[in-house]
Amino acid sequence: MLMCHVKGCATDNFPLRIEDAELEQVEVEFNEDFMRRMINKIEWGAFVQTAFALGVDQLPATVPENIDTEFLQRIHRVAMETKLKEGKMICNGCKHVYPVTDGIPNMLLQETEV
Amino acid sequence: MKSAADAKKLLNRSILIKEVIELRFHWRKYHTPYLKTSFKFNVTAFGSSLTIPQQVERIERFSFLPYDGDIDLKNPDVVFSLYEDYNDFPNQGLPVPDAPIRLFWGPFVAESSRALIQQYDLKKRGYLGTTSMDAELSLIMSNVALARPGSLVLDPFVGTGSFLVTSSHFGAYTIGSDIDGRQIRGKGNGKSIESNAKQYSLEDRILGTVVCDIAHHPWRDCELWDAIVCDPPYGVRAGAKKIAVNPKAPPKTSIYNRDGGYKLPQCVPYELDDVMADLISFAAKFLVPGGRLVYWLPTLTDSYSPKDVPRHKRLRLLDNCEQSFNKWARRMIIMEKLKADEPDLDLDALLIEIEKGMQTKVALDEKDMKVQGDGLVTLIDNPAHAGFRKGYFKE
Repeated sequence: MLMCHVKGCATDNFPLRIEDAELEQVEVEFNEDFMRRMINKIEWGAFVQTAFALGVDQLPATVPENIDTEFLQRIHRVAMETKLKEGKMICNGCKHVYPVTDGIPNMLLQETEV
Repeated sequence: MKSAADAKKLLNRSILIKEVIELRFHWRKYHTPYLKTSFKFNVTAFGSSLTIPQQVERIERFSFLPYDGDIDLKNPDVVFSLYEDYNDFPNQGLPVPDAPIRLFWGPFVAESSRALIQQYDLKKRGYLGTTSMDAELSLIMSNVALARPGSLVLDPFVGTGSFLVTSSHFGAYTIGSDIDGRQIRGKGNGKSIESNAKQYSLEDRILGTVVCDIAHHPWRDCELWDAIVCDPPYGVRAGAKKIAVNPKAPPKTSIYNRDGGYKLPQCVPYELDDVMADLISFAAKFLVPGGRLVYWLPTLTDSYSPKDVPRHKRLRLLDNCEQSFNKWARRMIIMEKLKADEPDLDLDALLIEIEKGMQTKVALDEKDMKVQGDGLVTLIDNPAHAGFRKGYFKE
């Protein structure tokens, strides 16, 4: 859901590429209705690509036609329960590096970038 | 309320109500269910207090009732509540009257969630800051934001996370952001937003936090949030700032620290009226249709006018509720984003709505208002809260 917002950076600014990732499995309450709504909001291609690059899951290239509870639980595990604890999120467009420390992404820009 | 079940449902989310009792007036029908049941009495006074002997005296007045059941203080079948209402005369500078002005008596139906105020009391919270919002108001805000299971709530001025806690209590997934990462992380003594989440066993709903500037934020264009709940910085206890080149700061030779990370960006003061205007524009864009924005607008009592409250063509103002501190006040503003198929609010309708809220008639017309490209509607002149910091410290 996060993208590069450096002023003028408009191409290749989403999704951010993740490097040096240290992942953490957390437990998050599952809510089927919420997940069903979120699937329509997720940029599916970016989501699949990121999940694959991190070695979390190999998801189908397109959203299946019939989405059952089991599939929603699988998405829940990837989107809600996989936390980037440490690492870098890098913009493929302008190369800005957004560091993630202790699970908190630092999305601050430099004053010259706004 | 149609039934006891309805009352229980409502009271489950109520913070300001104490309890609901059933008032009945038909004598014979009234007593039939209670002739053999065990019971106890509760006596409560509003606007006054009663000693134990006074309470016992009140209860004994009911000894004429034909109830043969046992008195059971621990697990009674039915609780009878007696309320004595002394009004709030002391708050109006008047003495407490000798006798109550009203009495209510009836079997207890349901208790509200007022006890949550104790559960989330700031005094018992591990991680706090100077701007933590008290439990009662936080709970009320999460309530009016309709925080509920499966909803996604953002606090873009998260501070120490008061609204994450109360919104997640009501079942919502919550995310917070703040330009000041130190507030989110704490001082490294194990106390942080994360430790608060653990304290209340809400880690499975408080999803996380992001360090970012609401004026230059990284959220991808998407109607994502079911609610935005926040207390923007007033520039009094927490100075508002946003990222920008600060001409007063020494120029940087490099944007990198020795360890390769970025240096902190330069910031400039973020004027209160700009904070509010940006917040409204953000909400209008990123809320789901029907989603709610709930925030506090600080105002100076002498100069405030309802026309100062920023509007938006896609946001309907639901309420504007004052908490007065005499010279200044803050107002809980509740706005709801229009449904996708609803037409934009037009300027005429907005002007009529604003004038309705005014105590003194002020002629407003389109020339007084400025409409931004995204639909934000503000005054051409600066609103009175633009000078809030200056006015606050002058008092």
